[in-house]
Amino acid sequence: MIQVTLIGPEASVFTGDAEAVTVPAYDGQVGILPNHAPFMTLLGKGTLTVKQGGAEHRFNVQGGFLQVVSNRVRVVAEQVAPA
Amino acid sequence: MANLSRQLRGRIRSVQNTRRITRTQELVATSKLKRAQDRVVAARPYAQALRETIADLVTPELMERFPLLRRPAPPSKGGPSRAAIILVTSNRGLCGAFNSNLIKEARRRADELSAAGLTVEFHCVGRKGAGFLKYIGKKLAADRQDIGDRPTAQHAASLVDQLMADFGAGHLASLDIVHAKFNSPISTPPTTTRVLPVETPTGGNKVRPDYILKPGPDAILENLLPLYVRNAIYRGLVETAAGEHGARRTAMKNATDNAGEILNALRTAYNKGRQAQITQEISEIVGGAAALEG
Repeated sequence: MIQVTLIGPEASVFTGDAEAVTVPAYDGQVGILPNHAPFMTLLGKGTLTVKQGGAEHRFNVQGGFLQVVSNRVRVVAEQVAPA
Repeated sequence: MANLSRQLRGRIRSVQNTRRITRTQELVATSKLKRAQDRVVAARPYAQALRETIADLVTPELMERFPLLRRPAPPSKGGPSRAAIILVTSNRGLCGAFNSNLIKEARRRADELSAAGLTVEFHCVGRKGAGFLKYIGKKLAADRQDIGDRPTAQHAASLVDQLMADFGAGHLASLDIVHAKFNSPISTPPTTTRVLPVETPTGGNKVRPDYILKPGPDAILENLLPLYVRNAIYRGLVETAAGEHGARRTAMKNATDNAGEILNALRTAYNKGRQAQITQEISEIVGGAAALEG
């Protein structure tokens, strides 16, 4: 399991555990699974997907960054809205 | 006598009405304060995340390469002579000395900058600050009255993006924002925060060597600095909005309490007068009856 937090400028939008996250990075989609290496990249524009059990949460994000450290994924997006 | 008590009755009624209004204002401010305070708290994780990450990435060698971090030369040595102050005030009054304190702080800062040989331009948010600065004959570079007490990140971006571009191009010497710092609903001191050049947060952990950074620390930093600047402005806007409601609640509570005190004094005077009148009437009747008997 990975712990995901999605933070926008006005409020945190999502917090929870997930099996996988797909993030639109500046150079294309990036998939994060458990035990990913420490990683930081810039966000592009697109849809972020959090897979949680059978459910999927989707958000439109743009700008900001993504940080992965020891199974914690932190997405800090300048624009974020539920898709 | 009858005339006097009628006057007192009128004043009592008018003070009662005033108290009803101030009490309602107090209640409205209390509920708006709650929501504004929630927004201040909700904005913290983003600011925290940006601050941590920038602190992790920034190194002294990188400092000189980013336009937003560069400290311009003083005007005497050919640097830019334009300095900008964003003054955040409220659109509405009835909040005690809240706005005048902010304006005072902005003028103090402007005097400091002028003493350093800079030409200060004011960017105003809120009607109160703009009104005062126009009244003393200052020209405003921007006059934003559309933001109100629910500022958004877009508002912050629209305020600062042009200034950021000017600073990056070397046309602007510095940018300060004068806003209310929201310590608690009863403590909202006016504060000046230096926005540009960016004072980089310190105390970051060294980036771990096994960290994969794409597209590299400098490119990430370059993209995050504008976010950090916009966020500094957004924080100033939300904290001032919350501070305004806190200040209004305090001011209206005092007004309600004072109205209560005045009411008590007026009622005492009215009742004393009424009693004196009754006593006098009784003694007149008794006197009259005694005279008839006599």
